[in-house]
Amino acid sequence: MKYLNIAAAKPKVGVFSLTCCEGCALQLANKEETLAAFLSAVDVVNFREISSDKSDDYAIALIEGSISREDEVASLKAIRDRAKVLVAYGTCACFGGVNRLKNVLDFDWMNREVYGETPKATSPVRPVREVVPVDFEIPGCPVSKAEVERIVTHLVLGLPFAYPVYPVCVECKQRFTVCRFDLGELCLGPITRAGCNAPCPAGGLGCWGCRGPAEAPNYEEFLELARSRGIGDAELRERLSFFGGFDSAYELAQDEPLAVRPVA
Amino acid sequence: MKAHLHHFDITREESMLLPVEFHRKTRLQHVDKAFKAEITRIVPLTDMERLYQLRILDPGERERFTFFPGQFVMVDVPGFGEVPISISSSPSSKGLVELCIRKAGLVTGVLHKAGQGARVGLRGPFGTFFPMEQMKGKNVLLIAGGLGIAPLRAPLYSIIENRPDYNTVHLLYGARDQSQMLFGYQYEQWRRVGDVKLHLIVETPDPCWTGEVGRITALLEKIRIDPDETYAIVCGPPVMFKFVCNRLSELGLPMHRMFVSLERRMHCGMGKCCRCNIGSTYTCLDGPVFDYWTVMNLKEAI
Amino acid sequence: MLFRVITKEAFRKFVNTLLSEIEIIAPRKVATDYTGRSIYHYLPVDRFEDVALDYDTTRFSAKTYFTPFKENLASYSFQNGDWTQSIRYRGVTRLILGLHACDINALLKLDKVMARGPFPSPHYIARRKNTLIIGIDHDPCAGGFCRSLGTDTVTHGFDLFLTDLGDRYFVAIDSDRGFSMLQEVENTEVTEDDRVEYSAVRRRIAKGFTTHVETHNLPNILDIEFESPVWAKWGAKCLSCGTCAMVCPTCYCYGVSQEFSMDFASARKNKQLYSCNLYDFARVAGDHNFRARTSTRLKYRYYHQHRGFVETYNEPMCVGCNRCGNACLAGISPPEVIADLHMEEKA
Repeated sequence: MKYLNIAAAKPKVGVFSLTCCEGCALQLANKEETLAAFLSAVDVVNFREISSDKSDDYAIALIEGSISREDEVASLKAIRDRAKVLVAYGTCACFGGVNRLKNVLDFDWMNREVYGETPKATSPVRPVREVVPVDFEIPGCPVSKAEVERIVTHLVLGLPFAYPVYPVCVECKQRFTVCRFDLGELCLGPITRAGCNAPCPAGGLGCWGCRGPAEAPNYEEFLELARSRGIGDAELRERLSFFGGFDSAYELAQDEPLAVRPVA
Repeated sequence: MKAHLHHFDITREESMLLPVEFHRKTRLQHVDKAFKAEITRIVPLTDMERLYQLRILDPGERERFTFFPGQFVMVDVPGFGEVPISISSSPSSKGLVELCIRKAGLVTGVLHKAGQGARVGLRGPFGTFFPMEQMKGKNVLLIAGGLGIAPLRAPLYSIIENRPDYNTVHLLYGARDQSQMLFGYQYEQWRRVGDVKLHLIVETPDPCWTGEVGRITALLEKIRIDPDETYAIVCGPPVMFKFVCNRLSELGLPMHRMFVSLERRMHCGMGKCCRCNIGSTYTCLDGPVFDYWTVMNLKEAI
Repeated sequence: MLFRVITKEAFRKFVNTLLSEIEIIAPRKVATDYTGRSIYHYLPVDRFEDVALDYDTTRFSAKTYFTPFKENLASYSFQNGDWTQSIRYRGVTRLILGLHACDINALLKLDKVMARGPFPSPHYIARRKNTLIIGIDHDPCAGGFCRSLGTDTVTHGFDLFLTDLGDRYFVAIDSDRGFSMLQEVENTEVTEDDRVEYSAVRRRIAKGFTTHVETHNLPNILDIEFESPVWAKWGAKCLSCGTCAMVCPTCYCYGVSQEFSMDFASARKNKQLYSCNLYDFARVAGDHNFRARTSTRLKYRYYHQHRGFVETYNEPMCVGCNRCGNACLAGISPPEVIADLHMEEKA
């Protein structure tokens, strides 16, 4: 910042996709009104959504997606070696994401169902942090571009960024959204970290927890609440395991067997 | 019907057209307006602490900016945020403010990166202050632990500049070790020019340290205190002032003549945001300077 | 105070005329909850038919129209290594139609913090003075304990206040603008019959309260029971979600933060309403948290509402609307918590 006599860096950013839908990377090219400013604050050197240039010279690596094959481990390690800062970008990278649902299924059966007679090499899905050290995590399915912009403004000035510690409920209330529980539905809002501005409950869908847990979540009371509204542990486990950020809450919701059993 | 709904334009209210003066705190005014100030000098003190000298740029604002020892300002770093910092300089130097800033969070981190000539905003002064008038004719004990020396410098300057008004003045200062003792370059001046009896103590001495070793309360045993004629100002972390004030109480000093300065996170400085509340007392309005009896009655203060 | 009577038809015309001139916020039905209860919000309306004047309570208070959930306090623009600060106040005239007595009393309490005393807030005052208020009487809502706090009736803080007399409204007038505006539509002097009917309605309302909260000596009890196990009991249930403070008509605490525009040419200083129940409310630099436990944070909210505010203003901050109790997913409600404290004190 010129007025403080602090120089702003223009870091080189590489964007890499592992197992995912690439929707998070696409978010970088979203929000047209500020896109030009965004792309002049950072130097995106490796990003096939908006550029065909490839470069191995980057300070920050954004990794989207989870690890579901052994060859991804090798490329991830190579990226880690090159990048000064490695960011797990999006829910899949942070928690495993939807991909991780396959971990409870029988791999051979699944492979046949998907690929028929030409099975592919596959391994249990892992988040990035289980494979290489991660410097920063940006959760969200997809990530919120507004939040990514806030993170980038901190990043280029070399400042720490802090997420809201509170749950999604605050943001629902601040936009007058009718509580999904009032409508008799399940919502992970009370235990999920805010920062997304609660688009799902406002759009008619209870929170699925893509951003992972808020700070110091009260899982016991949350489960009590859901059960008191007639929601069984099977449904709770399904919801809690969907994006992979709520393992410890999942462990607490064991009063009832899963409705859909894993195929053995 | 709209003709009856006279639009109220707050910017045309008489008091809103007057210059902002935070001492006139019941007047309607632009309380979010910051005085622009330039960092004129940065004095490194330790790895974590620096002394910033700031000068308010507008001559009129400079003239109107007055404060009492113990008050604080909100330092506004545009784009980053605001932090409350107690004023560490003499109330007599118009428009020149010294702030001792420890690198602790985002805004103070930015300030540590900022260079000379940088321009920040100041809102304030806010809060209560040490009763320097009441203390006249009495002995004064100034007791600081660690960074507590920063808010203590304001009453210290006030006393030194009006030295004949006060009786014996002791400054007791304790730090973890010698490297954490701030403003060492000023001690001689305080002693010789200010006629302040300075006593230092460290908890863990370096090989070259020749002075006292131990907790700050040990220094209280080295001096003679006349409980009927003495006031105390105690600045430091809660555990420190608790021990000091309890010891002073045992020595007979009434609690309403001991003053401490509390620190809390603040977002507004004006008794609105509630972030600095101790129990339900606003540190920004009712404090930061409290007498010790009041502190004893504040839930969750210590 | 002056009183008039206006027919419901004339009132409808009155509102329709206003609708063509200014923004009107009024209770609107937005959904039905899983128990079959209607959910109302104070929202902008386009047609008189959308206004649900017979609503019981809204899930959210109307405070956001006076101290918004999110508000810009100041802006900065950067040029040539320097910055300029600019501050803008919202001054658009609007009407809030259908506020209940508790919510008008809540505004009177907010006035004490935001408009009077030290550092009156120009942002708040600009909104407050440009907002016309038409209140309305209503039969007690389920769980509401405003009568225990003396906030079930209101004597000022509005422009007009309606009491439903069947085919017409009994109107209390508390401002010259309210009076002048009412002159533009047909209205009549209060007759003996109107007065008798009004008194009957008020008596019916007063008798309808079923929830009572004992407030006698509550400020002292809160102090004495500071270490009470009651706080651990309710604290264990608290989700720290801040819902109570968000829906509350008086909770005003907030956080201030700043952010740059993406091109770094400008920045904004924003206020966001916060809640003392949120985990980091009292966390300071260096990661020390003065209230790291849910029980201490929950206690603090009661302490502020029912003791701290009393110390400063000689009245509690709570108006007894029980929105926090209704909205709390963990089932924490003031009547129960306060009853527990009284039990504890007797034990």
